[in-house]
Amino acid sequence: MKFVLIDRIVELESGRRIVAEKALSLAEEYLADHFPRFPVLPGVLMLEAMVQAAAWVVRERLDFAPSLVLLKEARNVTYKSFVAPGQVLTVEAECLELTQRESTFAARGHLAGREIVKGRLVLRHLTLAEYDAGWADTDERLRTEQRARFALLWKGCPAAADRAAV
Amino acid sequence: MAAPSRQEIFKKVQQALVDALSVEENEVTEEATLTRDLQAESIDILDIVFRLEKAFNIKISQEELTPRDILSNPEYVNNRKLNAAGLAALKQRVKHADFSKFEQDPDIDKILDVFTVGTIVSFIEEKLAASQS
Amino acid sequence: MRWIWFDRFTEFVPGERAVAVKNVTLAEDHLHDHFGAFPVMPASLMIEGMAQTAGILVGQARNFTEKVILAKIKRAAFHRLVRPGQQIRFEARIEHLTDAAASTRGEIRCGNDLIAEVELVFSHIDQNISGLEFPDENFVFTEEFMALLKTYTQPAAENIPL
Repeated sequence: MKFVLIDRIVELESGRRIVAEKALSLAEEYLADHFPRFPVLPGVLMLEAMVQAAAWVVRERLDFAPSLVLLKEARNVTYKSFVAPGQVLTVEAECLELTQRESTFAARGHLAGREIVKGRLVLRHLTLAEYDAGWADTDERLRTEQRARFALLWKGCPAAADRAAV
Repeated sequence: MAAPSRQEIFKKVQQALVDALSVEENEVTEEATLTRDLQAESIDILDIVFRLEKAFNIKISQEELTPRDILSNPEYVNNRKLNAAGLAALKQRVKHADFSKFEQDPDIDKILDVFTVGTIVSFIEEKLAASQS
Repeated sequence: MRWIWFDRFTEFVPGERAVAVKNVTLAEDHLHDHFGAFPVMPASLMIEGMAQTAGILVGQARNFTEKVILAKIKRAAFHRLVRPGQQIRFEARIEHLTDAAASTRGEIRCGNDLIAEVELVFSHIDQNISGLEFPDENFVFTEEFMALLKTYTQPAAENIPL
């Protein structure tokens, strides 16, 4: 399975705020285990969707400089309801603080306008070459992967507009 | 050992709420309602109760805060709303809470709205005093 | 992709504490997306491993009569990366347990290294969520989870010479 928990970026205010969507499909195989006869998006994948949305804010703002953007701390992530197959979870992350090294976000998830999850996230940004110069080429590969993924998700960026015009 | 002062209790309750709800200290005033002002969900209330039990070394049962025998009693509840008798019974059981807004629309699913920070502090103050005697 | 985020219990003290281990392997699809050129075990899935370990500990303490689901992550703090070929250990203990809910606290370790600290609150959903319909049976504790517990409590079946 692809570990991509954001299908589409809907809004992006550079360095400040992102709105993105994750659609849930019955074709997602893990649903057979979670749960049998009651398939719902696992809570930690709602968290992962919020983390990935916030990570895009970081990457876009820092021009993809950090090759790895990882969850350092999640606080008070509260779950209020479930996402069922066929539904779309709208995820919103608001940046509270952002430096080269770390960022803090207040994140929320909505289902048809109703808030069903919220939490505080701290992300850590790093490059492998900071720790071992021999990994600089891996950093570049990671950056290339992330830029390509971003172009797929964010239709607002110039590359996407060119494709649409064809 | 002397029972802690109200101010000492308030400080510990304030810390528990800051930790559980990701709110700032200055938002946690005596008058603030847990659900409306501090955005606590029902699971947060359970989390907060656990933290208070630990902080004050006391046991708090769900019944003391949201008495199921009143909230699910057909003599007190019509269409998920408390009638006059139900409200009276609830006020007798759950002291210190602010029922003024709740009374205008006594929806049992909104019962948690009656709890302010001050309510919690008074509740703990009373429990600690009772355990001293 | 299966939704089983630990491989084996190594300790299980009913009502108190459980330890489970998970091998991180390149056979796991999701690692190739997280992050392709440099696979690391996602923090969210490590939280799930802890939630499953702790959730079974909580469920067993009430004889699996409750549907125990993760309702709140109080805090999950990560200190180190986890990479393919490593084995991580989830060490969970129950802090509070009532009719309505339970809270657990625990650490994730790799060898002697502390990977993360995870504090969770579980809800017993039949008691807590009104207006939602659930199937009657306890769908949370699947046969796979019961088999993992049985492997610990009744290990003799594993020691079969060929």
